Amino acid sequence: MTEIFQYTPGNSPLHRMNPVTKILLTICVCVAAFVTDSLIVLAALFVFDLLIGLTGGVFRKTLAVLKGLVKVSVFLFALQALLVRRGNVLFRIVTDEGLMLASKVVLRLIVVCLPLTLILAVTKISDLANAMVQVLHLPYPYAFTLTTAIRFVPQFMEEMTGIMEAQTARGVEFDTRNSIKKIGMILPLCAPLLISSIRRTTATAVAAEVRGFELRNHGSGYKKYGFGPIDLIAVLISAALIAGAVLLRNIP
Amino acid sequence: MIEIDGLTFQYDGAASPALKDISLSIEDGGFVGVIGHAGAGKTTLAGAISGIIPHSYKGDFYGSVKIDGMDTVDNRLTDISRLVGTVFQDTDSQIISSVVEDELLYGMENFGVPRGEIEERLSFALDEVGIPQLRNRTIASLSGGQRQKVAIASLIALRPKILVLDEPTGELDPGSSRQVFSLLRRLNSEYGMTIIVIEQKIMLLCEFAEKLVVMNRGEIAFSGDVRDVLLHIDELREIGVNCPRVALLSKLLSEKTGRQLPAAVNIDEAERMIKEMIA
Ligand SMILES: Nc1ncnc2c1ncn2[C@@H]1O[C@H](COP(=O)(O)OP(=O)(O)OP(=O)(O)O)[C@@H](O)[C@H]1O
Ligand SMILES: [Mg+2]
Repeated sequence: MTEIFQYTPGNSPLHRMNPVTKILLTICVCVAAFVTDSLIVLAALFVFDLLIGLTGGVFRKTLAVLKGLVKVSVFLFALQALLVRRGNVLFRIVTDEGLMLASKVVLRLIVVCLPLTLILAVTKISDLANAMVQVLHLPYPYAFTLTTAIRFVPQFMEEMTGIMEAQTARGVEFDTRNSIKKIGMILPLCAPLLISSIRRTTATAVAAEVRGFELRNHGSGYKKYGFGPIDLIAVLISAALIAGAVLLRNIP
Repeated sequence: MIEIDGLTFQYDGAASPALKDISLSIEDGGFVGVIGHAGAGKTTLAGAISGIIPHSYKGDFYGSVKIDGMDTVDNRLTDISRLVGTVFQDTDSQIISSVVEDELLYGMENFGVPRGEIEERLSFALDEVGIPQLRNRTIASLSGGQRQKVAIASLIALRPKILVLDEPTGELDPGSSRQVFSLLRRLNSEYGMTIIVIEQKIMLLCEFAEKLVVMNRGEIAFSGDVRDVLLHIDELREIGVNCPRVALLSKLLSEKTGRQLPAAVNIDEAERMIKEMIA
C-alpha cells in the first residue's frame, strides 16, 4: 500500500517529461473530468489514465491504485444509487437516473485520482519541487511544504503498520470484520502517531534549515528543467482533452 | 575555533536543564569524541554548536557559544551553517530528498557551490563513504545503514569547516563504522576539518579521536586528551562509560608495578607496554 506513493525509477517518455508539463497534464485531466457530464467522455478519460500508466511503465502500480479506488467507489456508488430518487424506478428505490449519476460520480473520482498518484510514480518529488520553483517561480517554502507532506504519507503509513503490528503482537485483534469496532481500535493510536510525525517533520525542517533552506530560490537548481518535443506533445494532448470535454459535454 | 562559555540550556517545558554550565573550547583542526550515557545531553551539546539551539529548539539559554568569534545567538542559523555541518542522530528525518543524488545536491545548490565543482564533490563524497553504486537509488529502497552513509555523504559534499556527527555509526556494522572513522580522520588531516563526533563505541573514539569529552547528566565530567581521560577508569564506569580493556590493563599494570604508565588505547600499545615490562 505504501509503495503506491513512491517514485518508480525509469526512462519512459513520462519520466523524461518536464515536471511542470506533467502537472499541467494532470490538471487538464481533472478539469476535463469536471467539465464533462458525459459517461462516454468519462470512460474515455479513464482509458486515457490507463494509457498514461502504460506509457510510464507503471501499469502494475496503476492497477494497484485502481484496486484501492474501487473499494471506496463501491461504497460511494451504493450511497448515490440509493439516495437519488429521480427517474424511473428499476428496483425498489433504485432508479435509472440514480444508477447513471452514481456511475458518473464514481468514474469521475477514479479518473481524477489516478493521474494524481501516477504523477508521483513517474516524477521524483524533488524534481517536482525544483521545477515548480524554477519554472513557475513558486516560493520555495511552499514547494518544500508540499513535497514534505507527500513524502510523509508513506512514512506515516509505515509507522501506523508498525504500531498495529506491535499491538497485534500483544493480542489486539485488528482483523475484525466489524468496521466500527476496527475504527474504535485504530483511533487511540492516532494521537501518538500524530505526535511522532510532528516531531519528525520538525526534525526534517531543521535538517533543511542547516543546509541552506533559506538561501534556496529559483536560481538554485543544478538540474535544469527544459522543455522538449515530449512536452509539446503533452501540451497538445492537454488542450485536446479540455476542448474535447467542453465540446462533448452534453452527449450521454 | 569553538568557544563555549558557561552554557546552560533548558528546553521549553522540561523540568531541569539539559546542559548545565558547560565550558569547552575546541581548536581548529581538532578531532573530538563525545561520549556519555543516554540523556546525558550529547545531542543538545551538538545542537548548541550547530546553532539549532536556540534557533530551532526553544528554551532558556544562558552563557555563550562562539564559532570563529561568531556568537550563535546573534547570528542567523544559515550563516552558522556555512561553517558547521551536522549529521543528525535520526537519519530518517535528516534526509529531505527521495533519491540519493538529490540529497547530496540539496545543500550544495543552496549554499551556491559553483556548478563546475558540483559533480566532482558529489562523486567524491559518494566514493569516500563507499556508496557510488547507490547514486540513483531511491531513499525508500535503502537499508538503515545505507541511509546513514547517504546522510554523511551529503554533509561531506558541503565541506564545512567544522563537522558535527551525532552517532553516525548507530546503524552501521563494525566494518562500515571503522570505514566512517577512517574517513573522518582523512577529512581531519587532509582538509583540516574540525571533527566533533558523538559515539557510543569507545574503542573507535580511543583509536581515532585526539580529545575526549565525557558527559554526565548535562555536565562535562571529563575532558582532555584521550589518554588522560582514560586514566579515570573507575569514575568513568560509575557514570556509565566502560573503558576499553587495554586501558584497564595498563591501569592494573601501573598499580601492580607502582609505575605511572600512560593509558593504552589500542592492542598494539598494550602489547608494546607489556613487552617493555618483561624486558
Ligand atoms: N526537544 C526536547 N524537549 C524537551 N526535552 C528534551 C528535548 N530533547 C532532549 N530533551 C531532554 O534533554 C536531556 C538531554 O537529551 P539529549 O538528547 O541531549 O541526550 P543524549 O545524550 O543525546 O542522549 P542519547 O544518547 O539517548 O541520544 C534529556 O533529559 C532529554 O529528555
Ligand atoms: Mg542523542
